[in-house]
Amino acid sequence: MELYQKSAVELSAMLRRKDCSAREILSSVYARIDGAEDRVGAYVTLTREKAFEQADAVDAKIAAGEQLHPLAGIPVGVKDNICTKGVATTCSSRMLENFVPPYNATVVERLMQAGMVMTGKLNMDEFAMGSSCETSYFKKTHNPRDLSRVPGGSSGGSAAAVASGEAVVALGSDTGGSIRQPAAYCGVVGLKPTYGTVSRYGLVAFASSLDQIGPMARTVTDTAMLYGVLCGHDRMDATSVLREYPSFTSGLDGNVAGLRIGVPREYFSAGVDASVKEKVQEALSLLERNGAVIREISLPNTDGALAAYYILACAEASSNLARFDGVKYGYRAKDYTSLNDMYEKTRSEGFGDEVKRRILLGTFVLSSGYYDAYYKKAKLFQKKLSAEFEEAFADCDVIATPTAPNTAFRIGENVDDPLKMYASDVCTVTVNIASLPAISVPCGVDAAGLPVGLQLIGSRYSEQTLLRAAFGYETLVGGFDGVAALS
Amino acid sequence: MKIDIRHIAKLSKIRIEDQEIPKFEKDMERIIGMVEQLPDISGMDLSPNPADAMQLREDVAVSDKYTRNELLANAPQVQAGCIVVPKTVE
Repeated sequence: MELYQKSAVELSAMLRRKDCSAREILSSVYARIDGAEDRVGAYVTLTREKAFEQADAVDAKIAAGEQLHPLAGIPVGVKDNICTKGVATTCSSRMLENFVPPYNATVVERLMQAGMVMTGKLNMDEFAMGSSCETSYFKKTHNPRDLSRVPGGSSGGSAAAVASGEAVVALGSDTGGSIRQPAAYCGVVGLKPTYGTVSRYGLVAFASSLDQIGPMARTVTDTAMLYGVLCGHDRMDATSVLREYPSFTSGLDGNVAGLRIGVPREYFSAGVDASVKEKVQEALSLLERNGAVIREISLPNTDGALAAYYILACAEASSNLARFDGVKYGYRAKDYTSLNDMYEKTRSEGFGDEVKRRILLGTFVLSSGYYDAYYKKAKLFQKKLSAEFEEAFADCDVIATPTAPNTAFRIGENVDDPLKMYASDVCTVTVNIASLPAISVPCGVDAAGLPVGLQLIGSRYSEQTLLRAAFGYETLVGGFDGVAALS
Repeated sequence: MKIDIRHIAKLSKIRIEDQEIPKFEKDMERIIGMVEQLPDISGMDLSPNPADAMQLREDVAVSDKYTRNELLANAPQVQAGCIVVPKTVE
């Protein structure tokens, strides 16, 4: 087995035993990138030179006998909407094609403090708006499990890099499912943390009340370790929560006996593919046979969630993206006659169609005469849905659903139909609306061999329970598929 | 629902060319049709939840972390240490 195919936990142990160096690990990952990237297209920018400097620094510390973080020397890819000092941060948009931040996002500082090695910046849907990575201005990313299909989105580059071995772990961001849905499509693990537990400072804002950065990896333990690096209070983010965090790896014992799992019937409706339902049911049966307690529950407000999500997210996006005006940074149109003309031309040329659609929708729902009918109604719905989840968690530890109603679709299949594209978020948006944590783990493949995702949703701040449950499942199935062969 | 795309685009400071209007109009009408399915909610108010964990920040003096040149490095057009914009007052 090549080094790039190993988990962070295995590589960490090898580094400590001096079975390999951080430079050797990074060389193996870059050799994989060199061999696979023209077929996968996961990265927008590679930071090879800086990465080898970081790896050599870790090797020097190991040689000097210094105590290092368990993830020191582990290669990590970073989604391209997370600011990296001196490295372009494009949001996969023409608007930010040449934007080089003068500062690091807090999560990037945390990766560096842990001694992790950044391989590069990962492709995504433009400004994280999309479910297939196809709205990227730069390139299409291909699903490593089937190169003719999308990797999901918006963190499609992150999921594809992890699945193909072009990164050991990666950071994604999740506003309506953007970590979990691509994790499901690419057969990897993705955690969307509780809102407020991971700093958003330096994350280019899409919908600030819903956005959250989270870890993606090939195993639950790697996911848990990376989450432990990311979470924590940050005074640079006013929505950052002040609380103590437990160790997320110490409770991973593989035991699911007594775990109460709620299964909401609304998430298994007609819109969900039969093969997805079947695989999720099989996963639940396996958990039940090993001592978990399965309870059918009802979350009757699920049906309105997609509508509420697109109202809230687009309203916030229309406001957040108003800053891209061609004045202080980012793209500026070449020919203009006035300030207003410059704004309009810059935004028309700098944004792609999906971003424009969402700005238009957000502007519409906030415009005079429509606020009460859309935005206020969606905020009321948000409260109702949150209360409904809270009630459900009185009787269960986690709630299990499919992550997405389908498996990865073909590149180009849904690109002209925004509503069909939005429908792939139907199982994930509720979690963001209610500020909850949720994890997606692979639970087998459909008839075409494409991965299916099992989503486990927890109450606020219950990441430890979620990770334990996910690890329990991973143990029962004897581990997940590793790196895709790209055949 | 009929959407006045030109009006919304003007509010959004986005220019949509005439030939693109029908496509955006159709997409927007379908999307609005979807978001209109949101049910009416009664018995809820929007007052803030005191249990929400948001914290006010303590007052800390702000210091200059960046040089002018660092901040201007991303500006599309710079002259004499200032960002250049089109004339706004005739």
